[in-house]
Amino acid sequence: MGLRQRLVPYWLLAPGLIWLVVFFVVPMYFMGELALRSGSLTSGYTFDWAWSNFPDSLSGHTEQIGRSFFYAGTATLLALLIAYPLAYAIAFRAGRFKALLLFAVIAPFFTTYLIRTIAWKTILSDSSPVVSVLQTLSLIPPDGRVLATSGAVIAGLTYNFLPFMILPLYANLERLDLRLVEAAKDLYSSSRQAFLRVTLPLTMPGIVAGVLLTFIPAFGDYVNAQILGGTSQAMVGNVIQSLYLNQRNYPEAAALSFLMMALILAMVVVYIRFAGTEAFMGDEEEEPA
Amino acid sequence: MKNRARHENRWALALAAAVAAAVVAIGLAACGGGTVGGGNSGEVSTAEGGPATGKLTISNWPGYIDPGKNGTVAEFEKKTGVKVDYIEDINSNDGFFGKVQPLLEQGESGGRSIFVVADYMAKQMYDLGYLEEIDHADLPTVFENLEPSLRSPAFDPERKFSVPWQGGMTGIWVDTSKAPGIHSVNDLFDPKYKGKVTMLDELRETVPLVMLGEGVDPAKASADQWLHAIEKIGNAAESGQIRRFTGNEYTEDLTAGNLVAAIGWSGDASLIENPNAEWRMPTQGCTRWSENMVIPVGAPNTAAALAWMNFVFRPNVAVDITEWVEYISPVKGVKELLEERESELAESPIVFPTEQFTRNCTGQNTPPELERVNEAWQEVLTG
Repeated sequence: MGLRQRLVPYWLLAPGLIWLVVFFVVPMYFMGELALRSGSLTSGYTFDWAWSNFPDSLSGHTEQIGRSFFYAGTATLLALLIAYPLAYAIAFRAGRFKALLLFAVIAPFFTTYLIRTIAWKTILSDSSPVVSVLQTLSLIPPDGRVLATSGAVIAGLTYNFLPFMILPLYANLERLDLRLVEAAKDLYSSSRQAFLRVTLPLTMPGIVAGVLLTFIPAFGDYVNAQILGGTSQAMVGNVIQSLYLNQRNYPEAAALSFLMMALILAMVVVYIRFAGTEAFMGDEEEEPA
Repeated sequence: MKNRARHENRWALALAAAVAAAVVAIGLAACGGGTVGGGNSGEVSTAEGGPATGKLTISNWPGYIDPGKNGTVAEFEKKTGVKVDYIEDINSNDGFFGKVQPLLEQGESGGRSIFVVADYMAKQMYDLGYLEEIDHADLPTVFENLEPSLRSPAFDPERKFSVPWQGGMTGIWVDTSKAPGIHSVNDLFDPKYKGKVTMLDELRETVPLVMLGEGVDPAKASADQWLHAIEKIGNAAESGQIRRFTGNEYTEDLTAGNLVAAIGWSGDASLIENPNAEWRMPTQGCTRWSENMVIPVGAPNTAAALAWMNFVFRPNVAVDITEWVEYISPVKGVKELLEERESELAESPIVFPTEQFTRNCTGQNTPPELERVNEAWQEVLTG
């Protein structure tokens, strides 16, 4: 193979690599450097290997970090429970409405994230029909509310990230070889068994991808807590915002951002290990030794 | 299996190398490192005057002028030919400062020529070298019509870098159909109103109001007294008594009928579409503040910015603004013009507060040990 041919893959990689370097590696570098500075806004932040920013940024914020896990985890689970049957129905039962239904899944994205979230404020306001129905059904107390509660934040997260769960699941279910399910049934499995032992394992890549695509942005989200939450619903994103914008503690904000990134990375690695790389990458051919 | 293990080792090695490289790179770069923060050390420049043309970008708070087709901004454009980009992107002093600080540090203003910020924030920006000074010779209309009481405020005795925009009071907005009995800040802590009350996220407005309710004078309060009031607010937030901490958004909650009362600003009637909403002077007093137009470093077209300042200080323009915003105007003669127009506002204690009306009020005090107090406050906000 000539040199030129060998270089082709690198040329193809270049746009993506440049993008990554300019918009990820370089900002990461500056954030890392900022996280090791100390000082104040008036005196200036100077670089002095201030590793203590890392433990400092965690202290007093463990509650919000735990809350972020809980909110993002619950939202991811809810999204999975909603998305799986929906994606299944679109893939196998929608017939000629398939394109239309897929469009309906994506359609909310034509409106910006912020507007959609603010719209929920109107829909869920205390005197709205939605809330009175919930009150009548005794699902919330007679003087209860939906806005400014944990429920509202979780619902907002679920709603906003749902398409990220549906689309990978759909793509995965779509390619499912139905003959395998038929074969399972021919071998006397019930529909339930066929689902649990054939369909579900084969759609694991979609589930894993969907869970990651939902959980990661939901964990770092601060818009939903800001707009739909109340006084005790702040997530870790809100803490970083407060550290950066309101306390001007740039180093601690950068350190906390770093730690959250590391935490998510570690979790993703554990998760993929648990779910299996095959589930994530698809069933790869064994590399010849 | 063996293959996989080798794979992993390679990855672990690559990761370790990348981390090591990053740490070394940071260390190397830091030796020659630039500074972050610390303000601009250069000479303070003075905003340049001249004939007003071109484009002017103004950052202001929502609901602070009539930006419509027949409003004040359009009138200025018509009279001067300057094209104004009027943006309402200030929702809190701290939040706005946090947003523009990195720009200002570089000597840039993000294209803006005027900000409107509270006294203490104007002073903070000036001390960091983020503002340009203004030459009074360029602002004849301003200084001809400026209320005498606003000529030399403590934060800027010579009005070197600030021109008043509007003033106001922080008190309680009450939905009279739901809770006619709320008059004191202490009522906001009444369990009856649990979850139906909001407070502002401004340290210098909400906390002093609560201190006044406790009989503490915020102007003389110690850091511990500030922290005590913050703790009281924090407990109320944790128990669910306080629904949210807000900037301007409290007006939306009042409009939607989600609240019985909110700590809010006296002139916000134009933002609240709720006929039962009424601003009340808290029994134990309010927080008084004024906001200023300032010219940031790197502001383009300062000539147009100065022309704008002169323009809004024409009494016949100022009276339009007052009619629309219902805040306290810094311009002399507005009251007389309102009387000529037979406007009810001429008699409004909110627009023209008498000394008797504001006798218990306090200014926007900055707490002692600001950093510690602010940290405690931010912890309450992100509880």
